[in-house]
Amino acid sequence: MSNPGVDKSIAEAPVSLRRPWWRLFAAAKSASMLMISLLLLLGTWELVTSRFNIPSYILPPPKAVWTALVAGLMVDPTSRASYLYHLGETMHSTAWGFVIGSALGIVLAALMAESRIFQKLVFPYIVGFQCLPKAAIAPLFIIWFGYQIESKIAMSAMLVVFPVVLNSMEGFMSVERERLELMKSLHASRWQTFWMIKFPSALPMIFAGLNLGIVHAFLGSIFAEFMGAQSGIGVMILQLSAVSDTAGVFAILLLLATSGYLLIELVRLFQRKFAFWSGSGRIIETT
Amino acid sequence: MLNDPAIDRAAGIGAHGQGAGRELLRTENLTKSYKTREGGKVFALDATSVTLADGEFVSVVGPSGCGKSTLMKLVAGIINRTDGEILYRGKSIANSQRDMGVVFQSPVLLPWLTILQNVLLPSRVLKIDMKAAEARAHELLKLVGLGDFEGKYPTELSGGMQQRAGIVRSLIHDPSLLLMDEPFGALDALTRERMSIELQRIWLANRKTVFFITHSIAESVFLSDRVIVMSPRPGRIIEEFQIPFPRPRTFELVNTVEFGRYVSEIRDLLGAKADV
Repeated sequence: MSNPGVDKSIAEAPVSLRRPWWRLFAAAKSASMLMISLLLLLGTWELVTSRFNIPSYILPPPKAVWTALVAGLMVDPTSRASYLYHLGETMHSTAWGFVIGSALGIVLAALMAESRIFQKLVFPYIVGFQCLPKAAIAPLFIIWFGYQIESKIAMSAMLVVFPVVLNSMEGFMSVERERLELMKSLHASRWQTFWMIKFPSALPMIFAGLNLGIVHAFLGSIFAEFMGAQSGIGVMILQLSAVSDTAGVFAILLLLATSGYLLIELVRLFQRKFAFWSGSGRIIETT
Repeated sequence: MLNDPAIDRAAGIGAHGQGAGRELLRTENLTKSYKTREGGKVFALDATSVTLADGEFVSVVGPSGCGKSTLMKLVAGIINRTDGEILYRGKSIANSQRDMGVVFQSPVLLPWLTILQNVLLPSRVLKIDMKAAEARAHELLKLVGLGDFEGKYPTELSGGMQQRAGIVRSLIHDPSLLLMDEPFGALDALTRERMSIELQRIWLANRKTVFFITHSIAESVFLSDRVIVMSPRPGRIIEEFQIPFPRPRTFELVNTVEFGRYVSEIRDLLGAKADV
């Protein structure tokens, strides 16, 4: 090959990227580590509950949790006793809240990055809004949107907007100066500069915001369900804890953690597809 | 005075014949100043007048902070002038021109586009016929030895290869004037030397007018028909040299006494100024 540069760049790549079998081995290794830690955790848990005779309504043994989980998943998914039914309801509002919240967040961020005046007009309200305790707003949402899915979506979307706005705005505003100069030298229109340079340049940061946003959307939906709703995982937890079905509550928590993890992985999947050139970037954490 | 093409201190030989074309670009008393926080004025470039003939390769050398990049960015329409005039083909211009191509110090390739897509960016912006642009892109990429790398992403290429792609991008819309702002400044010494030869080859094949900004004296003498020397703060032209060596120039030239004389004369000039 006449150009040694490419060989060099491959040689510099981390070992894990070079060979498929190595990646497989690494994956198997981390999976087995997870299994070991899981077995240790479950073993200790089982031991503690049986050894100290802890009543099941305080800390159920792992086996009871497992039984509850399997039972809850096996019920006809259209029945209100099914975990899947409620999880589906929660996912439904999570998805809508995520889509609406992130669309709103990205558009607001773009407008604020493009116009100083718009930024000065709007940004204080966004920050101020974020500072309000969500529990104080929830009753208002219920008054406005009712006990149906709409108020859950509103709560979800509201929690998504802030992390998406902050990260996207950082992305839009920290575009490499020379990229903009290149467009200037070509006499590009503002529209061209935005779509050809600014938006793709900001994509890694936008995805950083979306990674946080998806978790916030999920939490927002469940939170709204706690505040008052007809269906959803939050409602299910309330019902189960009302009858001291602690094993059921644990089973649901397990389900929640798994679903949250899968949601993040889903966003990561899109990130690897649409912002494949980026590292993880600087994520602006919000709570 | 600086428009006077007769300035030719060292050799007294005219350019190699190519520099004798019609005037392409002229700046008249081009000035860029910034307001300081205290309300004063800082001159990045002070009343600078240069003339580029059609087909000429002209370098600007000077220490960092002498305003040579400012001069290029003003001509490219990237920044706005404070005072003075830029004439392109005899007409006063105020904005960037599609008849110019710019090469930056870093390649400024977009990581989400392949090399071919990167190179085609100007034709997308300028809405040039894509079929023709693509054909030209294939041809130019082959010329700089990147024919096999069209589908690669920038991070898969070495620094030198990236900068060659940057040069191809600046040529894609077939501009008459190529503005290069320390294009090899970020490369290692060896790659840099090879790129000089490469650039000469591209230039000889395409015959553009090149306005080349550098802080390397040897690079400017090696590449140029004419070298403009600038002093720092405020940026001013202090001298011009015609470089008469025939083309294509090879690296043996660098070791000749003649070449050394140009280099040391320019260095003395810059050194004397820097000591002040």
